[in-house]
Amino acid sequence: MKLRVAGTTYTGAVVDLRTRDVDGRTIAASIRGQQCLPAVSCPDPPSVYAYAGHVHPSMGLRTRTALAAAARSQGHETPQDEAIDDCREQLTELECSPPDLPDPVESVPDATIDGLQETIAAYRGRLTAREAVGADDGTVQADLRDAAMELSERETRRAAAIETRELRRERARAYRDALEERRRLSDALANRRRSARATLVDRCADAFARAVETVPGTAPDDPFDADPVTAALAVLRVARTPAPVVVETDRFRTLAAASDCLDAPIVRC
Amino acid sequence: MLLVVTYSRAARRDLRNVCRAHEDCVVRQFGRAALFSGTEFGAFQALRLHEKHGLDVQIEHVEPFEPSDVPIHVREAAERYEAREEPATPYKRFASGRDIPDPEHLRGVDL
Repeated sequence: MKLRVAGTTYTGAVVDLRTRDVDGRTIAASIRGQQCLPAVSCPDPPSVYAYAGHVHPSMGLRTRTALAAAARSQGHETPQDEAIDDCREQLTELECSPPDLPDPVESVPDATIDGLQETIAAYRGRLTAREAVGADDGTVQADLRDAAMELSERETRRAAAIETRELRRERARAYRDALEERRRLSDALANRRRSARATLVDRCADAFARAVETVPGTAPDDPFDADPVTAALAVLRVARTPAPVVVETDRFRTLAAASDCLDAPIVRC
Repeated sequence: MLLVVTYSRAARRDLRNVCRAHEDCVVRQFGRAALFSGTEFGAFQALRLHEKHGLDVQIEHVEPFEPSDVPIHVREAAERYEAREEPATPYKRFASGRDIPDPEHLRGVDL
């Protein structure tokens, strides 16, 4: 590894930064490539570093998740991997953005349409009666025309209202169908991940138990009850660790002992 | 009544909060859905959720239902099918040869 802290460059498998005023968390973030400074040049860390890449007394650890990541770093695969990839792919392909809905059109009440139809019928009657006595002066005809035009307008608007309503419902339904599908896929993905993790943990449980016995710290009856620091060290011992591990604990007598125990480059903060 | 269905975690959380705070307008609460009373206040609460969460909240008008609202042949079909002697018989097979509607026919008719 090559590490540059405030103008000084460190190289080698073991770097001691205890005399430097530098935060272990910052170094760990640099190793994981989450920030550029301080500049660290080292092999890419596998995902287990997100859990155990920085070992310090106030850390927490989801031991099983971290152990599963350690198993992955060793190249372990599970029968669920293909289904997990499928799920993930389907999830990314799923279009779930809310659709644009047309603005709602206010509908025309039935009573209005009925009223207009009655008015038209009345005008027609009146027109027939006037024509029969030869008293047609054109006003009834004009009234009839106006009423017919209004009816036609209202009917058009009502049809538009119905059509818009249908369209809004269809689009909303399609969107919600997509949301349901996403929920179903997310659930399936979570289930498969859980069972993949269980498979991986199962496979590495013995190695982990031996590691808990080996690394410095107290080994409880159930290795999964080990305190976070012990568990993290054991996880790292199980994992493939090409990138530097940030160690912020006094558990090891020497840095060389730490490096040997974890089979990893070490940055001591 | 109004059926309010939520489609996101945030909408679901707010629905739960509304149900807790305004029990009087909640007829029934299910996991991520609830039945609000058919009052302006029920509509107000439903619309608040809709304003906040858009299409992640679905609101439907729900009508009370009585079996007698449905044509007699549908009711009879349900009654006779549930009284069948062979529990494993699917409805399609049960209906054929009997004086009750087949499922395709039922699917094609709106209530």
